[in-house]
This record gives sequence, structure tokens and C-alpha cells, in this order.
Amino acid sequence: MPELATTLSHIVGTRYCLTRATELLAYATDALPGNRRRPRLAVMPGTRDETVAVVRALYAAGMPFVPRGAGTGLSGGALADNVVLLGLQRLRQIITIDPESRTATVEPGVVNAALSKAALPFGLHYAPDPSSQTACTIGGNLAENAGGPHCLKYGVTLNHVLAATVVLPNGEIVSLTAPSEETPAYDLLGAFVGSEGCFGVAIDITVRLTPNPEHVHTMLADFSSIDDAARATSAIIAAGILPAALELMDAATIQAVESSIYAAGYPIDAAAVLLVEVDGAADGLDDDVEAVVRICRACGARMVRSASDAIERGRLWQGRKKAFGAMGRLAPHLAVQDAVVPRSQLAPILARMAEIGTRHNVRICNVFHAGDGNLHPNIPYDAGNADESARVHAAMSEIMELCISVGGTITGEHGVGSDKLAYMERMFPGDSLDAMCRLRDAFDPERRANPGKVVPSHRCKEWHAAPGAHT
Amino acid sequence: MTRTAADLLPLRGAELCVHCGFCLQACPTYLALDDENDSPRGRIVLMKALAEGAIASNDPDARRHLDRCLGCRGCETACPSGVPYGQLLEQTRERLTTGRPLPLVARTILFVFARPRLLGMVMFGARMFRATGMPALLARVPGRLGFAMAMLASTARPQRAYPAADPDGGRGTVAILDGCVMEGLFTSINRATEHVLDVNGYLRVAAHGQRCCGALHAHAGDAALARALARANIAAFEKSGAQFVCTNSAGCGAAMKEYSQLLRDDPEWHNRAAAFGARVRDVSELLAVAGPRTAGSLPGAPTVTYDAPCHLQHGQHVTIPPLTVLAAMSQLTLIPLTDSDQCCGSAGIYNLIEPELSDQVLAPKLAHIAASGAAIVATGNPGCLMQIGAGLARSGSPATARHPVELLAEAYRKS
Repeated sequence: MPELATTLSHIVGTRYCLTRATELLAYATDALPGNRRRPRLAVMPGTRDETVAVVRALYAAGMPFVPRGAGTGLSGGALADNVVLLGLQRLRQIITIDPESRTATVEPGVVNAALSKAALPFGLHYAPDPSSQTACTIGGNLAENAGGPHCLKYGVTLNHVLAATVVLPNGEIVSLTAPSEETPAYDLLGAFVGSEGCFGVAIDITVRLTPNPEHVHTMLADFSSIDDAARATSAIIAAGILPAALELMDAATIQAVESSIYAAGYPIDAAAVLLVEVDGAADGLDDDVEAVVRICRACGARMVRSASDAIERGRLWQGRKKAFGAMGRLAPHLAVQDAVVPRSQLAPILARMAEIGTRHNVRICNVFHAGDGNLHPNIPYDAGNADESARVHAAMSEIMELCISVGGTITGEHGVGSDKLAYMERMFPGDSLDAMCRLRDAFDPERRANPGKVVPSHRCKEWHAAPGAHT
Repeated sequence: MTRTAADLLPLRGAELCVHCGFCLQACPTYLALDDENDSPRGRIVLMKALAEGAIASNDPDARRHLDRCLGCRGCETACPSGVPYGQLLEQTRERLTTGRPLPLVARTILFVFARPRLLGMVMFGARMFRATGMPALLARVPGRLGFAMAMLASTARPQRAYPAADPDGGRGTVAILDGCVMEGLFTSINRATEHVLDVNGYLRVAAHGQRCCGALHAHAGDAALARALARANIAAFEKSGAQFVCTNSAGCGAAMKEYSQLLRDDPEWHNRAAAFGARVRDVSELLAVAGPRTAGSLPGAPTVTYDAPCHLQHGQHVTIPPLTVLAAMSQLTLIPLTDSDQCCGSAGIYNLIEPELSDQVLAPKLAHIAASGAAIVATGNPGCLMQIGAGLARSGSPATARHPVELLAEAYRKS
């Protein structure tokens, strides 16, 4: 091990190869701080060449590793349990922006919002907008197939990635491109997007940039029951309107945001609010706005107000996007979930979730992409309180069971990571899990990249044959 | 919701951090060094581990990463959870200084600032040395010596005599904190401050017995001395009977507004500190309330850009008043400054004890100023005035750093 540290230090410089316990503490967690695993060492290459050299050195040493972007993930996906943490945050060069073809090629450590900022002079932006976009990286977005409020209309990361240069865990470099009608092939890029760091490391990523909409109209609808807000959500989509975003926040979330520096002017006595944005060409937009207002009112909205200018729109969105962080005001830890359910069943599912919360005496804060049916039930709690932690865990398990039982899935955008590993077996039959293992083997036969994540290792047949199987 | 375990944490406020990472891009040292140990949430991990005893207080890695924090508090403005980062840092540095002497430069400065007569002599010596023209000549010498000389040279101003204004005092009574560096090196800015307050209807009263605000001591971890200085100031300004305590130094203002935090465990002084803090105003706040009275244009109608001092923007949340002050001057072209909310790397005496990193943080600031094309950078804090002033001079830029108030006083004088 000291030998490997020396080799890695030679590649990246001593400052960027951390081996001492104190300095590894900060890398023991992602944005889900209840889960901590200390890496054996952390290495942070500064260039693409250094990254390739690091991966090759790790291959030569037979050492498993975990790629990490900004550590803003919410599924414990970037935890490195006594293996090497490969930090990509230094690779933050925007290599090219091509306004003609509306594409950009970036290094994996480029911050999501930084790309949109750089594209702004060309009237373009990068559409997938996870709430952590001011901090998270494009590489991390690629690994998690990240979503965001505006993915309702514009699609998730997968729909915006055109190509990637990938270092496979054995050090080989491959170019993955989205197949087109002219060059039909298996969609290996599609397989790579969302592989949660288990298939290799992307060192450059080409993404699609989206023209900024001509007009944007943002509305805040205020409901005295969460049930009404859920029904309004279904009704808006059922009416054939495709909003750019359709987000729901409940009373607990509203109160946390309103007491923060990101206070957006949400009504603090509301049981729920819907943040609805429609965009596009001026023609027809007014009809959509009018329809959204009418539907919300018909479903019982007390009031629907519109952002009067870009500043107010920005405030309404900042409140929504920082809501997760604002929940730190309620308790020192936060259990974050991410499940997708059929949108038509939102109202009954929210009611049953509330019942689960009451029964386990935990406080569920809902803030989620209602238009996608992508739930984020969050439970603020104190991990130091064993009884409370147990109740939170029991409530979350029941909620996930509920989502699976109505035909939903266990993650919409946060990934499986380590946090949701246990749900995979409830979600998929053994053959499916084994098929996933075999897909992984095509990229990483030794299973050294992000070991132990996504698919429970005991579900992989022939697992014991793999050298990286100790985790 | 119970929060028993968190209540036991000896680091008050740390439990608010949920490690979301929204602070990362707001941190100048994270952007410069790319290591989470040099980021707000990474440092909070270290602070918690120190407080819990999981790492020893003499751990060199923990100390290095915590020492490297500028204390700019840009992370507080980015934090949705309201983590009181500045207070966590001061609590931690207090913990760390027990048993470890500060660097000699820091110790010397803190020693001098806490002793009024010695401070007076040192400042007099500095002014004499500045008058020889030597600092200006040595300002381009490479390295720290040259930078220190450039900082001193940047404080030089022609002495102005202001016509006596006849204040009606209708806006209330004000006692001004003289400030160590302000009265010592930026004397003319203090005179300008008096003049603009007079013109805008404030009645000045003296606060005898006032001392250094103690901000530098608190930031460095010498909380005991910071508290002693705070008590002396609270007593002195109480005795003055003034409605408002005015300062033209953002760092001093942030510290004084938060005296009640510093003295939170002192039952005798805590409430007095809170009452005192509620009366503290940055000079731009007092002027903005008063209008301020409009002025003619500055000579040459220069283009001006504004750089927000961290302890005004992040520490006091005072963002609009300095712009209101600048807008009072006719024909003043105000150019926006990219990343004006980012630290300039001055951070009290940080630029003297962490010179390399300070330079790294200053570099993008100078680039943005150059790109703005402004002739004057307005900023309301002595540290920032010297840091940016020295940086501009050493990079050969014709631009200068000025306090908004001295610009306003100059415009009043000309009109």
C-alpha cells in the first residue's frame, strides 16, 4: 500500500494524494452524512492524462477504487470503504463549446451550473438541472443519470449526453457515442450513463446544449391540502399540458425554506404549494398559463400567483433547489429518499405515506418532482438517537415497499449506491440482477470500480471468482 | 423533534450542517486548492472531530486546513441551513490556540493592536516611513516584503480640509469607532467619514476609552483578549450616550454586531453586548437611511466598480447601502464587478501569515477589476483597501482602491 501511495503521488503530486486519517475524514461521506466509510487513500488527478495514469496504476496494483465528483450524491454511491477514492473535482475544464452544433465537451469535474453559465452568451444552457447544480459535477451527473425539475419536459442526463471518452477499470481508453440511424449499434453509451461509477471513469463528456426558451412563465399555486395539490398535478398532465417543471413542496419543507437565507415568499400557512413553469414560444403560452391556473383553482388552490420578473422567478426556484439543505434546520441528520410512482396515484400514496409517518412518529418532509411522480420523502432526525433512527429506518422501508407495491421504482435520479442496495432484491428477480452483473462484467470483469454498489454482490453468479470480491 | 445528541456537541451550531455541499463553490480556498479539507463542509468535519476528541488538537493536518480558512464567511451566504460558520471557526481556533503559539507575525500584530499607546507609536512610525516615499519605491520588490510595502504605500492619501458643516443632528447622535488601521493609516478616510455624517444630519459625539474592536484577536483564536476589548468598547460607547455606533470598517462592524456571541457565556455582559450590537451601523447604512444628500461629480467623472467586503456582505448582510452611497454622486458610472462577492484574500492579517494562498485568491479579483476597466475600485474595509490597492500597484494597474465614503466626501467638497 505505501508503494501504491508513492506511485500515485508521483503521478498527481503529494498534495493530491491523501493518506493520513485526518485528511480522509472529509472524504468519508457524500451528501448523505449518516453513512460514513473511510477510504484507504484519496487521489485527485489534475489532468485527463493523470487520471488515465492513476487508473492504470490502480489496475497494476489490483486495487479497487471509487470515482467521486463533488460528493453531493444522495445514495452513498461515492463511499469508498477502505479502497481508493478517485476524486475528479480538479478536472473542471470546459474543453469546447460549439454554438453551431449546440454541444459542449467538458471534463468530468465541471460544475453543472458552470456549464450553463459558460453557454449563456450563446443563448444556450445545459438542461438537466439537479437541485445541487451549483455544486454537483457533470461527471457525477453522468454516473447517476441525474434528473432535476426541468427534466419533466427536457429529459434526464441520458437524453443530453452525446459521447464520452472512458477509461475502463483496466486502463483501456474507449470512445462511447450515442448510436444514430446511420451507425446502428448497441447503445454502449446508454449503458454507461447511470452506471454509478461501476463501469469506469469518463474523462471527457460531450453533451447537448439547449436553446434558452423564448418565454418563461412561473406560477406558484397555494393549497390547503396536499391531496388537492397532488390531484392538480395529475389534472395538469391529463389536460395535455407539458410544463417545463412541476414541483410540489409540503408545509414542513415550506417552513424550512422560509426560515433560511433562500426564503422565497412561499405562503407559510399552506399545506402544499405547486411550482409550475411553462415555457416556449409566446404563441400558445398564455393558453397554457390560463389552463394551469384554471385547473389549480378547480382542484382547490387558494391562490395562484405568477413571478413578475426574472428576479422573482429566480427566488422561487432558489427556494425549491435549496430545500434539501434547509432541512438541516429541523434536525442534525436527514434521511433522503427517491422513488418514482405512477403519477395518477400520487394523492393516495401521499396519504398513505403520511399515515406511515404518523405511525412511526417521524416527520416526513415532501419536496419532489410531482410532474414525474418522482417522490423525495425526507425525514429529519438525529442519528445519535438510536430509537429515533430505528423508527426512521422502519418508516423509510415501509415507504419504499409501498412505492414498489404500486408499480413504482426505488430511485428516480439519486441512484442505488449503497443506501438502496437492499431494495434491489425486492425490486428485481434474481435473473435480472445476474444480468446486470454480466453487463457490468463487459466493462469491469474484475469488479474493481465502485465495488459493492448498485447490485448486491451475492446476487452475481460467479462472484467469488472475481479478485475484487472482498467487499 | 428531539435533538439530544446534538445538544451535547461542544461545537454549537455544527449540528446544522447536513453536508449538502452547496458551500463548496462559494469557498475561495476550495476553488484555489481543490481539496475538501479546505472547504467549509470539510473544515466542519475537522472541527467536529476536534470537538469530539476524535482527532488531537495538535494534529498538524487539521491545523493546516483550519489555519488556511480566510474566515470570509462566503459559505454562510450560500448555506440553506444557516450554519454559523464564522462562529464555529472562532470557537475552534480558540480551542486550537490553547497550547500552541500563533505565528510570530500574528502575535506581534495582536499584541500591538491591544495596546493603544504602543499602537499609536507604531502607526506614527508607519506614517513617517510612508512619508519618506520608500514604501512606494519598494512596492514592486518581489515577495512578501514588497507586498507589505505596497500595502503601506496604498494607504497614502492627500490630507483634505473639509468645510465645517453645521449639522442639525436631526438624524440622531453618532459615536464613531476610530479603528486601529483606519485612524492610524487611513486618517483621511476617518475625516471624510466625519464630514459625510455631518452633511447628512448626524450629530457626532465622542466615545472616550474606546479600543481595538478585537476582531483580529477573535479570528485568530485569542478569545480572552477579544472579550476584554469588547467589554471596554461596550462600556465606552454606552458612556457616550450615542444612539448609533458608526464604523467605516466592515471587519470591525461585523465583530461589534456580534459581540453578544463572543460574550454569550458572560451573564453580566451578554445583554449589554446585544444592546450594543443593535446600535452598530456601517457608515453606509447611516448614509443610506439619510438619503444620502446628493453630490456633484468626482473630478474627471471616473468609472467606478464596487467590491463587496466579505464582512459587510456575508458578515453583516449589508449589500445595497454602499451602492446607494455611490449613486449619490452625479455622473458616476458604476460598472458591475464579476464575482464581487468573492473574497480578495486580505482577511485581516491572513495576507501576512498565508501569503501564497492570499495571492492565489487575489489573482482572479485583479483580473476581474482589469476586465471591468474601472479607474476606481470602491470598497469599505481597510484590509481590502490595502490588499486590492497593493495588488493593483504591483500589477502596474492605473486603478486605485478607495473607500466609498472618501469618494462621497470628495464630491461634496467639489460641489
